Amino acid sequence: MDRVEIETKVIQFITTKVENLDVSTINESSKFEELGLDSMDTIQLLFDAEDTFGINFEGEEAKGFTCVGDIISYIEKHQVPASS
Amino acid sequence: MHVVVTGMGVVSPIGIGTDQFWAAAVNGISGIQRIRSFDASGQRSQIAGEITGFNPANFLSAKHIEQTDRFTQLALLATSLALEDAGGLDAYAPQRLAVSIGSGMGGFSTFESSATRNFRNQPIPPFTVPRTMANSAAAWIAIKHRLKGVNLTCSTACSSGANAIGMALDLLRAGRADAVIAGGAEACVLPLTMTGFEVLHALTTSFNTDPARASRPFAKGRDGFVMSEGAGVLILEKEEDAKRRGAKIYARLAGYGQACDATHIVMPDMNGQVAAMQSAIKDAGMEPDSIDYINAHATSTPLGDVVETRAIKHLFGDRAGDIAINATKSMIGHTVGASAAIGSIATIMALYTGTIHPTINLDEADPECDLAYTPNHSQQKNPRNGLCNAFGFGGNNASILFTTLE
Repeated sequence: MDRVEIETKVIQFITTKVENLDVSTINESSKFEELGLDSMDTIQLLFDAEDTFGINFEGEEAKGFTCVGDIISYIEKHQVPASS
Repeated sequence: MHVVVTGMGVVSPIGIGTDQFWAAAVNGISGIQRIRSFDASGQRSQIAGEITGFNPANFLSAKHIEQTDRFTQLALLATSLALEDAGGLDAYAPQRLAVSIGSGMGGFSTFESSATRNFRNQPIPPFTVPRTMANSAAAWIAIKHRLKGVNLTCSTACSSGANAIGMALDLLRAGRADAVIAGGAEACVLPLTMTGFEVLHALTTSFNTDPARASRPFAKGRDGFVMSEGAGVLILEKEEDAKRRGAKIYARLAGYGQACDATHIVMPDMNGQVAAMQSAIKDAGMEPDSIDYINAHATSTPLGDVVETRAIKHLFGDRAGDIAINATKSMIGHTVGASAAIGSIATIMALYTGTIHPTINLDEADPECDLAYTPNHSQQKNPRNGLCNAFGFGGNNASILFTTLE
């Protein structure tokens, strides 16, 4: 997946997990707290994202995540090629 | 100072809400079926009292469902029903509203599923600990209803709910709260808990193909208890306050007794049971002669029902046979830490309506169980003073005494 594709999927995923969110207001730079997520909500979101995207956020790195773009970048960097 | 019950909420295998629960109870309906929540074909005991028609999405957001174990969800529903029944507690300051909830196993469903994931090297849900902890239900009740007073959890196995209600009585008497949301909740119809009780030979195994007949307290041929889930919650207030706010009053919570066997971790001891009942009666300033109804602990284990029968005979002597006794577990199975909370609701309804619900599956009593257990059909007895017994692992015996207002 290229970055744009990942961004679309991540934003779509977030709208399924966070209630009352307008998809048009979310972008890469959206901070989790701006989406109404507290620190525990963010941990839950990342846990759910692991299942959805088939990845495993390394604890120390994920601790520093503050915005939607952090998730996108991580998935882009760690994605397994669809075919080789 | 008297403490009264002004609201009740129950979530049980025979009904959600007191009306549904009581209608099924007086008609002797069994809520025991083959287990549906997981594949139980490998269990020795394949039946349980599971709650049908319960959907947490009806009252919790998706986020809150993710953050709560099933036992908390059951407790939250029972609490909402009880508060609604009591007409709310807006008359009191939030800081004076306490919560006292019992649970034997707490969020064991979460524990079991997260442990399984962990053993498979899968990540575990972030809310594993706050979902599992025993005080999760009491905490969520406080969060949902903004109850800022004392918040307690009691975990004494099968007597948890009784002790939680007893602790609530103590809180009100001590002036530490103006009203208490008190009860018990349990949701451990799970492979690990079932297997755990199976290896202790505590569960019934002979009625897997005839579930409705499996829970048979005091009956010949009983071979263990039926695992069950549920929640029961009472709203408790001081009588004068309840009357001042015009609340409907179901009964008085008149006494609470507690005694530890201090003998064996799982085997019951008659002396501890006698002491608990005696203590509850004394706590209410009454005499054994005034007791005319007992909602028995009666789990349907071969030993437990006989020991409780002996305890009642020992305490009440020649009058034992005159006391109306019944076993709510004959219909709903054993809801562990919720059992005495649900049993309390059955006790209160007996005092409030005059009807003693039946002990079902009691066609032929065990010769060693020879008291008046209200076999198979309800009886109109108009009891005035009812004990609700709860005896748990750890030799933990509790008895609570409810009375009519007059």
